[in-house]
Amino acid sequence: MLRIENVGMRFGGLWALKDVSFEVERGTILGLIGPNGSGKTTMMNVISGVYKPSEGEVQYAGRRIADVPTHDVCHLGIARTFQVVKPFANLTVRENVGVGAMYGRLGAKRSARDAFARTDELLEFVGLARVAGRPASDLTIPDRKRLEVAKALALDPEILLLDEVMAGLNASEVDEALHLLRTVNERGVTLIVVEHLMKAIMSISQRIVVLAEGKKIAEGLPQDVTSSPAVIEAYLGARYVKRQAAERERKAAAPPAEPPA
Amino acid sequence: MVAVPKPRRGAITGKRWVFLVSLGLMAGLLFVPAGHSDYLNLTFRNILMYAAMSYGWNLIGGYTGYISFGNVAFFGIGAYCSAVLSKAGVDNLFADVGLALIVNALFAVAVGLPILRLRGHYFGIATLGVALGLTDLASNLDFLGGSGGASIKQIGEAHFTTYYYAMWAVTLACMIATFFIARSKLGYAFVAIRENEEAAQVLGISPTRYKVTAWAIGAMMGGAAGAVFGAANGFIDPPTAFAVDNNVFPIAMAILGGMGTASGPFIGALLLSGANELLQQHFLKLHALFFGGIIVLMILFLPRGLMYLVGLRGGMRRWLSDLAVFRV
Ligand SMILES: Nc1ncnc2c1ncn2[C@@H]1O[C@H](COP(=O)(O)OP(=O)(O)OP(=O)(O)O)[C@@H](O)[C@H]1O
Ligand SMILES: [Mg+2]
Repeated sequence: MLRIENVGMRFGGLWALKDVSFEVERGTILGLIGPNGSGKTTMMNVISGVYKPSEGEVQYAGRRIADVPTHDVCHLGIARTFQVVKPFANLTVRENVGVGAMYGRLGAKRSARDAFARTDELLEFVGLARVAGRPASDLTIPDRKRLEVAKALALDPEILLLDEVMAGLNASEVDEALHLLRTVNERGVTLIVVEHLMKAIMSISQRIVVLAEGKKIAEGLPQDVTSSPAVIEAYLGARYVKRQAAERERKAAAPPAEPPA
Repeated sequence: MVAVPKPRRGAITGKRWVFLVSLGLMAGLLFVPAGHSDYLNLTFRNILMYAAMSYGWNLIGGYTGYISFGNVAFFGIGAYCSAVLSKAGVDNLFADVGLALIVNALFAVAVGLPILRLRGHYFGIATLGVALGLTDLASNLDFLGGSGGASIKQIGEAHFTTYYYAMWAVTLACMIATFFIARSKLGYAFVAIRENEEAAQVLGISPTRYKVTAWAIGAMMGGAAGAVFGAANGFIDPPTAFAVDNNVFPIAMAILGGMGTASGPFIGALLLSGANELLQQHFLKLHALFFGGIIVLMILFLPRGLMYLVGLRGGMRRWLSDLAVFRV
């Protein structure tokens, strides 16, 4: 449903993305991982039409995203959260989400009142009902992340891009977040999840794409991706991989160890 | 289980009771002509005029967050609409205001489409250019009377009262329109752009479209005030139509009362005009100095306006910590 074809994105002399291609199938959950600065957020920005790619293209529902004005991308059914959250600080939580419900994919059909009715459902769903009337500037970090998700959900997306929405959450909050995302997915929303927490991303993703220094270095099922030497190298550095290889050779050369008694 | 109070849509219009008080004060202002004093009529008509202009500025500057320094252009165009109609033999306030609304909306869209693509400061400077350019244009167009100005035929003998009520009606319309626009989907688009333009865009809001809308509705408000002023004044020339005071006062009033609220401009106009009037009476020479001082103090200590004080919870400490946001 979403096709990324040879996308390159240049900032000055730096290629934040280079020749990246992958596809996302309807109804699935794709994990997008990579070390810091590998281009994950840049990819989110290209898919959501915030940046126009320097090369290649993103296709969704037969349209080139680059041809669609940024404010119309959500009307196609693509919603995203911001890694660096962007709440409307002087509006209440409810009003923040309400704006999404008013202007998103189904917004044109909704009155302000209908939009707020939809908002109240969503606030309940993401667990923000208790702070609905508070200004967004008063929220804690986990609640700000929830707000980002609620605003994106208010757009009634077909595909949702989540950029590190679990960063800064504690273990039980991560579990809640994973449960929430699974529920969203079960309701038919395709997800692209960017996350540093390996355990979380491995458990939720059906497929994983790995970026390093702007290039796609691996793609596949979670267990396959984590055992790929290229991925281990990108994450842990070349020296670690060499040491591992040397270790293996030494073990192969040495006689098998005595089994413990 | 703790009962969660049902949240209301409060922030977008300001405190509800302040708006009701403002409406009450507006009702009170209906009785000004009963004083049979030309001085009072004129003073309060000016207050209402500034309030209407301030409402016009508030939509783009307060709600949408694009600070304009050129809204006097709309006031001037409105005043000249009355002059043009009068020259054509039409002396009717409804026609004056109607023409001003149409001309200003068209002008605002035409000018807004290019300059509202600019961000922040650049937009402000461009608006200043618009106001300066129009002043020069009016001075050089003969059918507008050039730099000599144009006279406008006044209607009837009770003209002070008629024009007073007309200005009152324009201001009330601006106030109520602001209240309902703010609570509507439109108002939320404006505020979303002010709070974070990129986030607003990703939520489906076209920044250019809604900025131009805010700017054009504000232009119609300023234009309506200008049309009534032109007719009431009986004469218009470029320095009067595009006066610096008419550019600066409405901004200061909106800031003092509370930008991005439905009562702020009116409350600000009452207080600031009142202060100005008193200063002029008591300090013939230095009143502008005192007036400037008030504006500086207000920006230093009440950058969010009086409406912020009304909603303040947490007293002095919260006030000081909130002020820190405005400091380096
Ligand atoms: N707007 C920009 N202008 C210039 N350089 C940019 C811009 N956005 C990103 N970059 C650069 O592109 C590279 C990729 O950045 P990006 O934010 O996409 O990484 P990321 O994978 O999201 O990293 P993180 O895990 O830290 O969020 C970085 O080197 C970054 O400095
Ligand atoms: Mg990132």
